[in-house]
Amino acid sequence: MTGNGMPAIELRALRKVYLPGKKQVVAVDGIDLSVRRGEVFGLLGPNGAGKTTTVEICEGLTEPSSGEVRILGRQWRNGQDLELRQRIGVCLQETKFFEKQTVREILELFRACFPRGRTVEQAIALVSLQEKADERQSKLSGGQRQRLAVATALLGEPELLFLDEPTTGLDPQSRRQLWDVVREFQARGGTVLLTTHYMEEAAQLCDRVGVVDHGKLIALGTPAELIRSLGADHIVEVDATGVGAVLTAADLSALAGVQHCDLTADRVALTVASLHGVLPDLMALFAARAVMMAGMATRQATLEDVFVHLTGRHLREDQKS
Amino acid sequence: MNRTIVWVVAKTTFREFWRKPEAVFWTYGFPVLMTVVLGFAFQPKAPAPVPVVVVAGADTSALQAALQASPRLHVEVLAAAAADAALARGRVALLARGTPQAPVLRADPTRPDAETARMLVERALRDHTDGPGSIVPQIEVEDRPGSRYIDFLIPGLIGLNLLGAGLWGVGFNLVQMRTQNLLRRLLVTPMGRGDFLLGFLLSRMVLVLPESFAIVLLGMLWGVPFRGSIAAASVLMLVGAMAFSGLGILVASRPKTIEGVAGLMNLCLLPMWLLGGSFFSNERMPGWLGWIADALPLTQFNNGLRDVMLEPLGFAAVTGPLGYLAAFTLVCFGIALKMFRWT
Repeated sequence: MTGNGMPAIELRALRKVYLPGKKQVVAVDGIDLSVRRGEVFGLLGPNGAGKTTTVEICEGLTEPSSGEVRILGRQWRNGQDLELRQRIGVCLQETKFFEKQTVREILELFRACFPRGRTVEQAIALVSLQEKADERQSKLSGGQRQRLAVATALLGEPELLFLDEPTTGLDPQSRRQLWDVVREFQARGGTVLLTTHYMEEAAQLCDRVGVVDHGKLIALGTPAELIRSLGADHIVEVDATGVGAVLTAADLSALAGVQHCDLTADRVALTVASLHGVLPDLMALFAARAVMMAGMATRQATLEDVFVHLTGRHLREDQKS
Repeated sequence: MNRTIVWVVAKTTFREFWRKPEAVFWTYGFPVLMTVVLGFAFQPKAPAPVPVVVVAGADTSALQAALQASPRLHVEVLAAAAADAALARGRVALLARGTPQAPVLRADPTRPDAETARMLVERALRDHTDGPGSIVPQIEVEDRPGSRYIDFLIPGLIGLNLLGAGLWGVGFNLVQMRTQNLLRRLLVTPMGRGDFLLGFLLSRMVLVLPESFAIVLLGMLWGVPFRGSIAAASVLMLVGAMAFSGLGILVASRPKTIEGVAGLMNLCLLPMWLLGGSFFSNERMPGWLGWIADALPLTQFNNGLRDVMLEPLGFAAVTGPLGYLAAFTLVCFGIALKMFRWT
């Protein structure tokens, strides 16, 4: 093996500009990133943030407009593509395998593509599809199909695994099964780059997370570090009809211990260092201005809050409140 | 009837179609283009002379002179065996022998141009003897197996069948794999790209012989003979299918939609149906049409297969078509590999 001391992935000033028609779209806008060997790294961001483009550049599928890409110490389009492809495993965002082929037949096809690697049976066992090995693809559930896709990526015994939104659209149980597969791959010394827009997935699975928005890396660190960067561990959410007309963000931010305030017409979200310090003052403020609280909830801060804090938006459209 | 639903469905369906430029081009642009091309090709002009043969004999010079006097006939003189072969292969419409006063005319009336030829010959003979109704030619119907239109048609249908299966079978599957991201997924493995396309080509070979010999057997019900080497015919079928599948890969190497590849396939199929020699002989096409006809892989295949089916010939007779089709395959494959769109 070559280049063991180097990071698994190294991106320098990566840019990708598309030109559909006349208007140019900057998909990746100067990303610097280094993924260490043996870590599970997550690119977290909303749809259209540039996650997939970044991953496809790393996979050698897309050519960057500018910048430097080193994968396992090698560069694409440098006469080493075949060697690199043997050493990586890829799970694209959406691949429809042959409908009429069984799990085993599809894996046999992909196994033949790799000069060396594990057996089809081993790959089936890695993703726990033994019972479905002779089922045709058309009979598999969404979660099983996704595990099959990961199995095709594991056939060549890759050092580096790319998973582009591996659990999008899956039910929670299927999602957990896939996480187990990823963890086991990591336990054997593998490196993973995955994309997701589920903050829970990033928090549970990733050693480090890069938050991507509008083609830029806007935050980088372990999930705990990112949450700590909010300077506060708790979120207080208050529903109160018409609160936005009565109170201002300045009123709320002035309360002791409030790090960040999100105020909409009927809702307040505060990022706070400690609940017991803020809650009495908050109740007093609402009482003084005669605002009725319809409901109040408190919770631990998550990566979602980090994203909201950084961009003012939610990761997924359906989470807008 | 809910008129809102009818209206909205019509609007949505049309919009969906109109927003696919490839679909619009191949549905409307292509027929317009074809009309222009065919309009130029078939400008009104004097009909081409109908080819007939005078079978060489002791006293055929008078008959030959009588027929040559007609500007509508193209007259050749051939020995009996060569004349039979020319009729069997559709190169000529009618054989004539005897004298202008007692002619014997031989043709297969199921052939598209046989009746025209007979009437033109009869008129030429009447003009020659200057007497209406004085000539009663003896008519012979060509019904010997191997010389009829059906014997000409069956090898041509085998060619068309292999062509269609090669284009549609290979082309559609490739474009579908492209639209489903499967080609991209395969591209990120260390798989050799040529190996993949070669495998695709090979998959088409499995059914070539069964599907072709099924048509041969059907033809035998109508007495269509198989006189030459079965081995040579089999090799020709395999190499021919390879050439047609190679064309399928070439056609499918760029399109991103089913509409796009279907249009390109029609673009390939149309000249082959018209000029490929499956339904009627293309050996006397004038000028540039003749050049195109000769260059079509279907023409080469049909000629070769007719040689080994209708005549007692072997490999030696098909080396030309085999070489041409093999070269055609290599060229298609090479170009396809260079320009193939994997993503």
